[in-house]
Amino acid sequence: MDNQDNSRRSFLKKGFASTAFAMLATTGAEAFSLQIPGRDKKDPKHIGQVGKHFVMVLDLRKCIGCQACTSVCKVENEVPHDQYRTFVTETEMGEFPDVRKGFLPQLCNHCDDPACVPVCPTGATFKREDGIVVVDNEVCWGCGYCISACPYDKRYFNKRTKTADKCNFCAQRVDKGLMPACVETCIGGARVFGDVNDKNSEVYKLIHSFSTSVLKEAQGTHPQTFYISLDSRIEELFSTTQSLDDIVKAEEGFKSEWEKTRAEAHNHG
Amino acid sequence: MDNMQHFLTLISSITIEKPWGIDIPNYFWFTGSSAAAFIISSFAHVFGWKKYKPIAGVSLLMAFVLLVAAPLNLIDDLRQPGRILNFFLYGWEDFPTSPMKWGVLLLMAYPILIFFEAQALYRTYFVKKAQNSRGLARVFNMLFTFGNTDLSEAAMEKDHKKGYILGAIGIPLALAVHGYTGYILGAVHANVMWHTPLMPLIFLASAMVSGTGLLVILIPLFQRFLSERKKVDRDMVATLAKLLSWFIVADLVMRFLWLTFSLTFADGEKYALYQYFSLHFEDTLWIDYVLCLFVPLIIGFTKLRNIPSVVYFGGIVTAIGVWLFRWNTVIGGQEIPRTTPGFSHYTPPMYGQDSVMAVLSNWGILFALICAVLLIFPWDEEMQDCYEGVENAK
Ligand code: SF4
Ligand code: SF4
Repeated sequence: MDNQDNSRRSFLKKGFASTAFAMLATTGAEAFSLQIPGRDKKDPKHIGQVGKHFVMVLDLRKCIGCQACTSVCKVENEVPHDQYRTFVTETEMGEFPDVRKGFLPQLCNHCDDPACVPVCPTGATFKREDGIVVVDNEVCWGCGYCISACPYDKRYFNKRTKTADKCNFCAQRVDKGLMPACVETCIGGARVFGDVNDKNSEVYKLIHSFSTSVLKEAQGTHPQTFYISLDSRIEELFSTTQSLDDIVKAEEGFKSEWEKTRAEAHNHG
Repeated sequence: MDNMQHFLTLISSITIEKPWGIDIPNYFWFTGSSAAAFIISSFAHVFGWKKYKPIAGVSLLMAFVLLVAAPLNLIDDLRQPGRILNFFLYGWEDFPTSPMKWGVLLLMAYPILIFFEAQALYRTYFVKKAQNSRGLARVFNMLFTFGNTDLSEAAMEKDHKKGYILGAIGIPLALAVHGYTGYILGAVHANVMWHTPLMPLIFLASAMVSGTGLLVILIPLFQRFLSERKKVDRDMVATLAKLLSWFIVADLVMRFLWLTFSLTFADGEKYALYQYFSLHFEDTLWIDYVLCLFVPLIIGFTKLRNIPSVVYFGGIVTAIGVWLFRWNTVIGGQEIPRTTPGFSHYTPPMYGQDSVMAVLSNWGILFALICAVLLIFPWDEEMQDCYEGVENAK
């Protein structure tokens, strides 16, 4: 009797242990992921175009600061009001009367060694095999670490999706063989996009026939948007602590009003 | 003209996002103070410094409640709090490079460890409490004994050993729980204020300051109003005040190293930092340093530490000072421009997520938790026994 009891108990125990183990092993393996479900399932949207490496060349000699790219991007990507994936900074350089305008189109640089990707605790942001850095807005939990990490201020919390958002090189268009919206609309032809692995591509030719530079090289992120004719004075603007705007507005007594607008624009969306 | 203003502003200062608001300095303050309270409790439990024995239990409980309340700040700061499971399930590939991910393990392991240490410390008291109570209270108290009602010397020795081992494991864990928050900031090379390997150490040093400051206020309050003794242990207050001063020394050394290097010997970033600190020179100097560090430093190192009310003042200002330091680091760091000219500003909203009210509510939760643990745990009897032990030994 005793023996029987014991064997039944041990049978139950073993049965329970093996079922529990099997459950953990199967559901556990599926639930826990080194990456995210979309990448595990090899979703083409997440994998990208294997073998290609997309880059953008911005030829500043041709940019006229018309902001066509800024606006078409908002339309194509349904970017909420007051938020931008790309924009063109407009500056004035020099001293009267020897002045000139400077334009700097900016977007996510799709860095080769991005600062934003390795810090993401959910794996929601990652680099596709074709070099495009994307955010899966169904996984992102909105912690903002990537936003803090990007040295280029190119990420923001999308007010609508409440997740981290930024330029994705219009991956939705590129995967269908189209150009990013900003490239297509750029009237000066300042924005050029393509696969740098393809020696016949325009980007390949531009990069190899002109000297190019990238923004904030010292950050070590290896940006993949290359500028032709980038004026170092424009980059200096990044670290100036007072802008002309500030000074003029303070002088003209707009300061409080300006601070208000600015606070509205800057505090969380 | 109005429209024009708006337009110019947006074009010149587009998409600067400050992802981390008021919740984050508050979170850092909570975890830091928790780590400090834990270390102070370990003075007695692990290092065997008898002097700290009477307050070791209460400090441990405070470490526990601070750490239970802290992560609520993080959840409130999330834009998609409903997706919290994603943090546990996905992205393990980034574990080595995302200090935020380390929090998964640390924030879970640390409170559990403290709970078990507190259970070992108070087990025998729960047994006695259970024996003297009936009905639901008895069942409740029995729960905390984990079914072990043995009151023999050997059993108590075993509890003691368990407490020692958990305390010893807990020290590095406590340091890691707060150190990792400094690491989160230090790892961000995009931010000129945060990016220094000293950040975890600066955070730990100032955490010891705020945690001790908090205990300097709380422990006398508990002793005076909630304990059987009904009187404040003035020696203990003086001891804590002196300890606080030593922690302030450590904090000042860290900050000295940080600021002297980053303001003078760093590369390009030093200009922005220099500008930032020039802009905030007066308030940083007088409030952060003179009032909140030097004054308590002097209190602890002079005879002033024997006057409890002066010490309480020192405790309050250090606790506030460290909170301000957390704020200045987290918010100030984000106000320094990275791609646009000019500093930006952040004012926390009054209501809603990540707001002043959210932080106040978090403090409310902390106080509720303090009341709960003080009611549940027999800290008073244990403290009394420690004092009697000391007096008997005399
Ligand atoms: S520019 Fe910023 S967001 Fe884009 S890949 Fe580089 S670090 Fe990431
Ligand atoms: S905000 Fe989203 S994408 Fe960015 S680090 Fe957090 S989880 Fe990752």
